[in-house]
Amino acid sequence: MTTTATHHRIPLLRLRVPLPRARMAGALLLALLIAFGWLVPLWHDVSPHHQDLMHTLTPPGAEHLLGTDPLGRSMLGRLTEAVRLSLGLALLSVASAAVPGVVFGVIAGWRPGLVDRSLGLVADVVLALPGLLLVLLLAAIAPGTFWSLYVGIALVLWVEYFRVVRTATRTLISAPQVQCARMLGFGPGYIFRRHLWPELAPEVTTLAAFGASTAVLAVSSLGFVSIGLRPPTAELGLMMTELFPFYQEAPWLLAQPVIMLFLMVLSFQLLAGREPQ
Amino acid sequence: MTPLMEVRNLCVETTQPPIHTLLHPVSFTLHAGRPLTLLGETGSGKSLLAQAVMGTLPPGLRARGDVMVEGRNFLALPARARAKWWGRHFALLPQEPWHALDPTMRIGAQIEEGHRLVAGRSRSAAQHATDQSLMRLGLADCRRHLPQALSGGMAQRAAFAAARTTEAPIVIADEPTKGLDSTRRDEVVTLLREALNERSSLLAITHDIDVARQLGGDIMVVRDGICLEQGEARTVLDAPRSEYAKRLIAADPRHWPAPASPAPASAQPVIEGRTLRMKRGNRVLFSNLSLTLSPGEIVGLTGPSGCGKSTLGDILLGIITPDEGHVHRARGHAPLRFQKLYQDPPAAFAPHWTLHTLLEDLCARHRLDRGRIPLLMTRLGLHARLLQRQPGQLSGGELQRFSILRALLLEPVFLFADEPTSRLDPITQQDTLALLTDVAREHDCAVLLVSHDPALITASCDRQVVLSG
Repeated sequence: MTTTATHHRIPLLRLRVPLPRARMAGALLLALLIAFGWLVPLWHDVSPHHQDLMHTLTPPGAEHLLGTDPLGRSMLGRLTEAVRLSLGLALLSVASAAVPGVVFGVIAGWRPGLVDRSLGLVADVVLALPGLLLVLLLAAIAPGTFWSLYVGIALVLWVEYFRVVRTATRTLISAPQVQCARMLGFGPGYIFRRHLWPELAPEVTTLAAFGASTAVLAVSSLGFVSIGLRPPTAELGLMMTELFPFYQEAPWLLAQPVIMLFLMVLSFQLLAGREPQ
Repeated sequence: MTPLMEVRNLCVETTQPPIHTLLHPVSFTLHAGRPLTLLGETGSGKSLLAQAVMGTLPPGLRARGDVMVEGRNFLALPARARAKWWGRHFALLPQEPWHALDPTMRIGAQIEEGHRLVAGRSRSAAQHATDQSLMRLGLADCRRHLPQALSGGMAQRAAFAAARTTEAPIVIADEPTKGLDSTRRDEVVTLLREALNERSSLLAITHDIDVARQLGGDIMVVRDGICLEQGEARTVLDAPRSEYAKRLIAADPRHWPAPASPAPASAQPVIEGRTLRMKRGNRVLFSNLSLTLSPGEIVGLTGPSGCGKSTLGDILLGIITPDEGHVHRARGHAPLRFQKLYQDPPAAFAPHWTLHTLLEDLCARHRLDRGRIPLLMTRLGLHARLLQRQPGQLSGGELQRFSILRALLLEPVFLFADEPTSRLDPITQQDTLALLTDVAREHDCAVLLVSHDPALITASCDRQVVLSG
């Protein structure tokens, strides 16, 4: 009972106890996906864009490990690029959402009054828009670009960090331990490092894992409805649309991006461990 | 008189090897109308005993022995069958009732639910019974209130009414008075005595000798999982036989030795509050209140709960600004030398770091002499190995001594001790408080000591201030 309680009470940066099994499996799966995206191209040099119209829709075999698509492009090459893109975008948008989210959350929780209320208002405005709609809006302004997706997703995600961190900070800041630290002459930096962050870290990392899976799904949903990235970029949602017409002749092709997307979302969900409080 | 419950050789041990016995075999009999009190300090195994009787031990522990209720061995029943007995034969009074009540449900409905679903009464009978019990407990107006609208005492009575719907013959109360002031504590004891009649009885678990005395009946003194002494309450409390029971009873503030002669009040007070006035909501907590503290003086502050004791201390420390009046501090003392000790020691430490790290932080922040830490630790009876632990791994008494140490490192001239020992066991309380007052006098530090226990204040302070509320 106490052991499970300590698992998510330990800040992520100083892990001393092993993660629970599910989170361990999530981390392992994510590591495998990263290895797939970044390491496979090192020894198996196949361009995701090189077309070979003589060899289209080949089943997986010795020459093309995962087969080729209708334009004769290597599926292995395309999948590795798609994984790099999805993971890269997910991690980037999570990082750029978490940092301002945590910073503003701590400020708002620490300083009730005007600061808190104005930051809260901004957050509520963002929250009033459905997340995907905001991404769509930005995608419409600059169609097919990487940055519009990135900015859109980060803008949607930061609110969650803000709200969770603000609420947690508000309770912590009025707790005796913080009052005591102030009486002992410690400043805000110390209070954040020793008192707030250890409590916030598990919440933030859980949110980050959920956020990453949201980002991965958002990118591929937009790709699937042809609003996201443009061909010839290899992107999971886009690949699904492209391969969809061939699902009867070559079902293994459509299965590949679907499985990849599933594994990516699964790894983040396992890593998250539990619903944030 | 037939016994309600007979416990024979009940012991608790771990299920996984190596097998540790956490509670050594105890036997006792609970008679109707005659309460049994388990007395002992935190970690003595008395809560385990209650859990073993109820069959609610945490995983990894198992109970052995017999718990005979109505001619059947309750412990031998399978877990699901045991659960059916809860509420009907056993009723558990929660330790913190306001956490046990459903915050989204009205009080009347919560009690009525028990009458209907557990006791199996019809709707109208349940309503009638609910009204009756609310009336009897002075809660007639609260039927439609949500728990948050009740005061702590009212919530306790409501939880009591909810637990008593089936009039289960065996009532188990685990630390029912923890953290309550003496008035509220007496109320709870009166409430518990309600549960005693010709058909039912009470098994109370407490570390409070006063509660044991007021409940009467029989007493068992438990320490380290061993029952040291058992017998009639008055006999055990007035003439304890075991060494531990003697110490436990001597640790009751009423039996403490008289304080040493008060320190001569020096001309120069270290801190002074002048004509202070404070309001909370529409209620005036105090007005035109002045007090001074001289170096090395221990001043007690008592009064009923909610009368503004903590507020007064926080005003002196400058955490709260008073509505009127002002606080004057002797010149030449850094603000850091005015410190506070908290009621709940673990709450005053960052829980994720070792004490070594926390003390190191403090020394680094204020360029303090680290060499003083070992000396002070010896003085306060703290073992060096404790430094490597996190606050949660220390006992309350050890942790409170660490907060005294932390304050002493800053060479305080004034300490506001807000009920520093109310969450500690009697013996630990006596030791900790004696250390605090001794060390404060040695360092010429003035202490404003808050307590809800007048006997404790009389025994440890030079003089006292009473807030009437």
